[in-house]
Amino acid sequence: MGVTLTPPTPADRAQAARERREIDSSCRGPVLHYAASAVAWLLVGTTLAVVASVKLHSPYFLTGSEYLTFGRVRMAHLQAVGIGWSAMAGMGGACWLMCRLSRATLLYPKLLHVAAGLWNVGMVANVLGILAGHGRSVEWLDSPPYVAPFLVASIGIFSVWTAATFVRRREPHVYVTQWYILAAVFWFPVLYLVTVGMIFWVRSTGVMQMVVNWWFGHNYLGLWLTPMGVGAAYYLIPKIIGRPVHSYYLSIIGFWALALFYSWAGIHHLIGGPIPAWLATASTVGSMMMFIPVIAVAINHHMTMLGSFHVLRYSPALRFTVFGAMTYTAVSFQGSIESLKDFSEVAHFTHYTVAHAHLGAYGFFTMVMFGLFYYMIPRLTGREWFSARLISLHFWCDAVGISIYFVSLTVGGWWQGRMLNDPNVPFGNIVEYVRPYLFTRSVAGCLMGVGHVAFALLLVANLAGWGRKRGIGPAYFVAPAGKPAAGEPAPV
Amino acid sequence: MDRGMVIIVGALLTFASSWLGLVLLPYRQLQNQQPYTASPGDDPYPRQLSEKALAGVGVYSANGCLYCHSQQVRSARFGNWWEGGEMKTGADIRRGWGNRRTVSRDYLHDRPTLLGTMRTGPDLANVGSRYSPAWQHQHLFNPRSFNAWSTMPSFAFLYRREPVEGGKRAETALRLGREWTVNPGYRWRPTDEEWDRILASQPGLADALKAANPGHFDVATPEGKARLLDFWLTTEEADHQVVPTADADHLVAYLLELRKAETPLPEAKE
Ligand code: HEC
Repeated sequence: MGVTLTPPTPADRAQAARERREIDSSCRGPVLHYAASAVAWLLVGTTLAVVASVKLHSPYFLTGSEYLTFGRVRMAHLQAVGIGWSAMAGMGGACWLMCRLSRATLLYPKLLHVAAGLWNVGMVANVLGILAGHGRSVEWLDSPPYVAPFLVASIGIFSVWTAATFVRRREPHVYVTQWYILAAVFWFPVLYLVTVGMIFWVRSTGVMQMVVNWWFGHNYLGLWLTPMGVGAAYYLIPKIIGRPVHSYYLSIIGFWALALFYSWAGIHHLIGGPIPAWLATASTVGSMMMFIPVIAVAINHHMTMLGSFHVLRYSPALRFTVFGAMTYTAVSFQGSIESLKDFSEVAHFTHYTVAHAHLGAYGFFTMVMFGLFYYMIPRLTGREWFSARLISLHFWCDAVGISIYFVSLTVGGWWQGRMLNDPNVPFGNIVEYVRPYLFTRSVAGCLMGVGHVAFALLLVANLAGWGRKRGIGPAYFVAPAGKPAAGEPAPV
Repeated sequence: MDRGMVIIVGALLTFASSWLGLVLLPYRQLQNQQPYTASPGDDPYPRQLSEKALAGVGVYSANGCLYCHSQQVRSARFGNWWEGGEMKTGADIRRGWGNRRTVSRDYLHDRPTLLGTMRTGPDLANVGSRYSPAWQHQHLFNPRSFNAWSTMPSFAFLYRREPVEGGKRAETALRLGREWTVNPGYRWRPTDEEWDRILASQPGLADALKAANPGHFDVATPEGKARLLDFWLTTEEADHQVVPTADADHLVAYLLELRKAETPLPEAKE
């Protein structure tokens, strides 16, 4: 495990710090390019989300415009947050983590600028195209046909470059985060090409398209976002609290079990649908087996944290990351249970599933990415976050927001499902019943939006160089014993 | 072997296993499915959509109807629990969303396949058997003209409000009161001043109302005034009409051809 037997001398430490600075400065440009674009897409996606959400309970809201009809805004929202924010945040983070963990500088950073640029161009075409009426109503793959080439070219460059950085590694030990990233940058492009090919290019029969669709939809989360999120948490938690990860072997088991079982889980989205029955059963098995990697990761993350919870009081990065890691455990357990037939019969076709999806993509992935950004960006820009208050506002808006979101749609969605399955309940009653829950969701969405604006302000300020120079100590929520809090002068 | 190779090869293998199992196998199982012919000489089912309806699929997907409507009828045996002394089973069929469950063959020609994952609105797999074209148009134009509680968006942008040329209405014009047509997509109500102006400019209004509502009432009372306004709002505009665009026509053609759960199929029996 790369344990040094002799303690490092001050000269060693200085050498290591010099090396880290060199690595950071080699990848600063592209990583910040990805990160800033991601946050821009987060804002776009949040705006679209609130519009769509309000429309669901107040259908007269912005009803006049065809560009803002619910269906288009809903598709554009998913693309903006799913393909825009999540993927770009993950890629930016993955690039930096890979350089750091491989102890390798990034070669030809300009190439990654091109990749990020291509992704952004693709996303602009994607969102505008959908609003203009070119959306395709294939969940997760709504993007108009002219978008795929941009995304494929971009991810191609990114994947090759991440692998190249790994190959150039000077650190002999391969940490589990690198496993996840390496696998993810391989999985996603293949997954995307195979899916787009089988849905849009090959003439697959009707239901087959749906099978591929959900194989993709679930794997996008499972084999692309999850590895990035789990990998980042594996890096951040031990790093921030200064303890090694609880069990090395468990992390390897967790990785391989995820690789094997997650990819089998997707078709449970079609339980009860017109597909071969064995297919849904196979996927239910895969979903249940997901308990193994999830428990392995849970033990590792939570046991590493054990005894260090006090650090959550002052470290923003850790607080976001641990919130995400805990949610990961919860949402994965929930996901496995949801794949059971009896459960799915109620939850499918309802807002319950929407709540679950947001708990995963937001409560887990997005929160971990926030944690990663809070840790990573000051190291790249050499500036601290200028306001611990704003970070605190960001955290509480998001944490409370997603909690309200989840509870309201879970409760509302569950009873929506029960009523849908009861033929004696008139449809109108169901529509009226879910309305207050949808309204609550809009309020939660606005709250999360406030958090995002705070985050965007912090990022802009940091990039503009408004924060303090690094060196006095990071921006903490409260001062840990013996260290000055953000904004206070350092002891002389 | 190098660590990197282990990861790449391992990732490839696990991924390939799920592709083989979840994609390739069902692909081979389903790819050779053929339309069903009950007896020789019959039309094979499912039929190809008409050209208009195919264009309608495009309108349906561009506007994301999928995100509120599913197109699959679940089995008669689906959902089995007791509640309130009754067995709640097969709700889809008992709600009248179809005569039978839908099976993979029903979707043979669908591109894209619009199974859907959300039921904010009712299932549409068989909606073609439920409503007339006129109903569909009026509903799309403003769903709340049928159900005040509906949260379905108005698709008024698929319709055109235009002056009536030469006093002759188009045959396709919607038969809707002016409360729905004056401001398409919304429900219109005049302000008090506007209403006064309208009354002043239409001296015959009260008489027309009396003619249409035999019986005694006084236009001078508040109640009579309210009835007058109601009458005004629920009658059609004389000088304007709302007609479907080509997109609306195509979409309705598609909705009318949605009859997935009607024709009996042997494999749908249970
Ligand atoms: C925001 C969700 C939403 C969207 C988007 C939506 N609908 Fe609806 N739809 C509903 C709701 C709710 C109802 C039930 C109330 C009603 O009849 O208006 C409904 C009812 C219907 C019905 C009547 C079904 C029945 O059995 O009574 C049809 C047909 C329909 N919608 C077609 C469409 C089409 C076509 C589109 C896309 C152009 C669409 N809907 C988009 C929510 C939606």
